[in-house]
Amino acid sequence: MTQAVTPVLLHPGFGAGVPVEARARAAELRDEWDAADQNVDAQSFWKETGKRFLANKVGVAAAGVVLLLVVGAVFAPLITSADPLVGQPTDRLQNIGSPGHVLGTDEQGRDVWARVLYGGRLSLLAGFVPTVGAALIGTIIGVTSGMLRGVVGTILMRFMDVLYAFPAILLAIAVGSSLGPGLTNTIIAVTIVFIPPVARVAESATRRVVVQEFIEAAHLSGASGFRVARSQILPNVLNDIIVYSSGLVGVAMIIAASLSFLSLGSPPPVPEWGYMLNSLRGSLYTTPLVTLVPGFFIFLTSVAFNMASDALREAMDSRL
Amino acid sequence: MLRLAARRVGLAVPILVGVSIIVFLLMTILPGNAEAGLVPEDATPAQRAAIRDSLGLNDPLPVRYVAWLVEALRGDLGYSLQRRREVADLLVQAWGNTFVLAAVSAVLGITLGLLLGYVAGTRRGTLVDRVVSIVSLAGLSVPSFFVAIILLSIFAGGLKMFPSGGATFDEGPIAAIRSLVLPVASGSLITMAITARVTRAGIVDVLSADFVETLRAKGLSELEVRTHVLRNAISPVLTTSGVQIGALLGGSVLVETIFRWPGMGQLLYTAISSRDLVVVQGATLVIALTFVIINLMVDILQAAVDPRVRGAVA
Repeated sequence: MTQAVTPVLLHPGFGAGVPVEARARAAELRDEWDAADQNVDAQSFWKETGKRFLANKVGVAAAGVVLLLVVGAVFAPLITSADPLVGQPTDRLQNIGSPGHVLGTDEQGRDVWARVLYGGRLSLLAGFVPTVGAALIGTIIGVTSGMLRGVVGTILMRFMDVLYAFPAILLAIAVGSSLGPGLTNTIIAVTIVFIPPVARVAESATRRVVVQEFIEAAHLSGASGFRVARSQILPNVLNDIIVYSSGLVGVAMIIAASLSFLSLGSPPPVPEWGYMLNSLRGSLYTTPLVTLVPGFFIFLTSVAFNMASDALREAMDSRL
Repeated sequence: MLRLAARRVGLAVPILVGVSIIVFLLMTILPGNAEAGLVPEDATPAQRAAIRDSLGLNDPLPVRYVAWLVEALRGDLGYSLQRRREVADLLVQAWGNTFVLAAVSAVLGITLGLLLGYVAGTRRGTLVDRVVSIVSLAGLSVPSFFVAIILLSIFAGGLKMFPSGGATFDEGPIAAIRSLVLPVASGSLITMAITARVTRAGIVDVLSADFVETLRAKGLSELEVRTHVLRNAISPVLTTSGVQIGALLGGSVLVETIFRWPGMGQLLYTAISSRDLVVVQGATLVIALTFVIINLMVDILQAAVDPRVRGAVA
């Protein structure tokens, strides 16, 4: 009975001859209902995801670390006045905490703190760009072969299988050494490594969606294949791809750093974390802590990206 | 079971052909790659053309691929002018050393990872579980060459407990084991971390399945229940093991370089630095083939252990 009472109380015409307290109570209830209503609609998926992500302390901290690293790399000249390219030969191999050099100096007397900041530019770029590139290309390949199946789909996916048959880092090294050293080539190499796994995720998600009735309805209503892909399939597979790709940034960083460690990245003296780690290897026994600095930054960035991606996955999973 | 194995081997053949095509293309498709290291830098265009012609480099790509493949199948992967050795000879020696390193790292890392993951999964939410989770997340994010350098600075530099590099197989078993410790540790730590993560997830998943309840209700001892749980959780672990061995093989390039381990990785590193592309090509081919064969074995093993996998593909 009480269930039926409330709506009547809320009716705008209701109220004459009712005690003041009851009317006040009715107004209160109406406000509560309105408030609850606002909570229910007007919440898009991304707003909800953002809210859940912000509630995850680990995820926020990780995202904060990533942000700090990016800011440090972008505004490097404002943070340090030291030259990352030219060193003071008299200041070679200073230890951590020596005057003027917070993180010491390398074998050419260059300030390691400055080199880490500037080095973050190439290292972060080489982790991020390939992930975005592979996500785009992999999605196109995966959605295409998931929709078409048939000969084209089979050929595309078998080609992906072949690329997948290489250990990831070996494929990157092989492509990198074939193209030669350089940032662009590193980015191309790492992108190629990540296209097959993204394509697989996109393809299996597409296959799941493509058999559903609304796709058939879209086709029947005269939509072109491209239009169906864009307006019906893509929105339904994008989440899977975003979650999967966000987990790749950390690995991409490591592979890019490995290439630069093997001198396949940008040619020296431009700083890059992987290459720095390799060139500091020679002074491992004189200034061990300084040697570990670039490695630590690779590790830190990769951990931060992985934690942020874990948090994103949890935030996007509406079942939790 | 035998039919399934045969089917899997059959499926691997086109992959192997594809791998060989990619390896061939990578080293030939860019201008100048094929004759890199064979032609002196200051050669005139005419000399260059003459050398290209004598090597058959002006033939169409498919012809060259088939010729290369036939030679490769006969065990001839070319001649490294820089090393003045047959590439195949270089590879045979290096492959053995890498195999020892990767096999020991894989066995150690996977065994320890299984143990840790099992302990963490069955004691979910306890301190042990949290520690294992944190360590495995770190292991997922740490580059193997960074682990190698940390270990090197502590155990070879600071404590001088182990040699800083090289493989000492001919100085007796103790020296051999000592030279293996640090490289194996750098590789297996990461394998262990990832295996532990996957095992933990699998165990947690299976423990909440209804059949565990049934087994307990049937009156099985806890040990018997655990055996069932482990067997059901093992499939994803096997899948990642294949990938892990691949990572060990690929990562050997970095770890072997750091520890001066005379394997495929170090061979690749020196070949890359001197742009000795015949060696890069040969080494890439052999590592990729090894990886395909290992994945094939993992697939078959998985089907042998898990009837669900068998049903899905047979």
